[in-house]
Amino acid sequence: MFSIAEYSFVISASSVQEIRSTDSLGGIVVELDRPVLRKVRHIVERDARSYYVVSGYEHFHLPLSRPTSVLILRDVPVAVLVDRIEEMAEMRVLLGLPRSFRGEERVWYRGLTVLGRKVLPVADPRGFLTVDELRRLEEENPGLLQTAGHAVGASRYERERV
Amino acid sequence: MNAETNNLVPSFVVLQVGTRRIALPREGVAELIASPLLFTFPHTTPLISGVVLRRGRILPVLDLAPGVSGAPSSSTRFYLVVERQISNASEKCAIPVQGACELVTGIVFPAGDDRGFVTGHLDLNGEQIEVLDLEKAIAFSAAQKSEWIPATEALS
Repeated sequence: MFSIAEYSFVISASSVQEIRSTDSLGGIVVELDRPVLRKVRHIVERDARSYYVVSGYEHFHLPLSRPTSVLILRDVPVAVLVDRIEEMAEMRVLLGLPRSFRGEERVWYRGLTVLGRKVLPVADPRGFLTVDELRRLEEENPGLLQTAGHAVGASRYERERV
Repeated sequence: MNAETNNLVPSFVVLQVGTRRIALPREGVAELIASPLLFTFPHTTPLISGVVLRRGRILPVLDLAPGVSGAPSSSTRFYLVVERQISNASEKCAIPVQGACELVTGIVFPAGDDRGFVTGHLDLNGEQIEVLDLEKAIAFSAAQKSEWIPATEALS
């Protein structure tokens, strides 16, 4: 479980490669030449892999917050800035988002879960940057993901998986 | 009025949404529930204020008040559960209501309505209660809310 502003979210542990503090992220941080998305302004390179840094509060259209942690995702080239890591918990049920929800949340969430008698949204790791958003980022900043330390072949492989 | 005639008279649930009393056809109403907790999370769908948990099921909460009475509902513990048809499937939703709901029978009189979601009105002891087409009311309220967002952004 992680939180951004006043909200808590859940993300599957298997989709997270690493959790770091923003103070000790390390690696190389490269500013995007053309930040076509408000929520993405940097690329970070870690262990020869590169990730677009997505602002969690911008992604969910929340008020400005103070991120202290970074979720580096496993199967997508995305690192998400979040305010806090709350706890590890076992998710027993994943319920589909009710059909009445028709907005961006259908991309953001895999569904809803109930933890400790609270209903929480389950973030979809592929929802932080859609295929279209990744394409726009790479079109406007050609080669930047690779030059930040990412192998060209691996990048394409990841992009296809996204 | 005998029982046979009574069955032919349509019945309605009268509820208070925001500052106004309205009526919905009885057929689309499942139950009135008291739910202490409204769970909220980020989303971009107009009118939905969150979800409530009811017998292990998650019900989206649809606030009709912006379109019906001009302002969002004040906080409440009570919700009227209604059945909606969305994409050829039914889904239960919860509408926040203020105070008690009444089950009434009566004849619906036609009503002129430029908003397009009032199908008629009921005369309840002299009080005129508008009968709503739920889906049209949701669409109207959602459109109202969408108009508010750019206006709010322009002011900020």
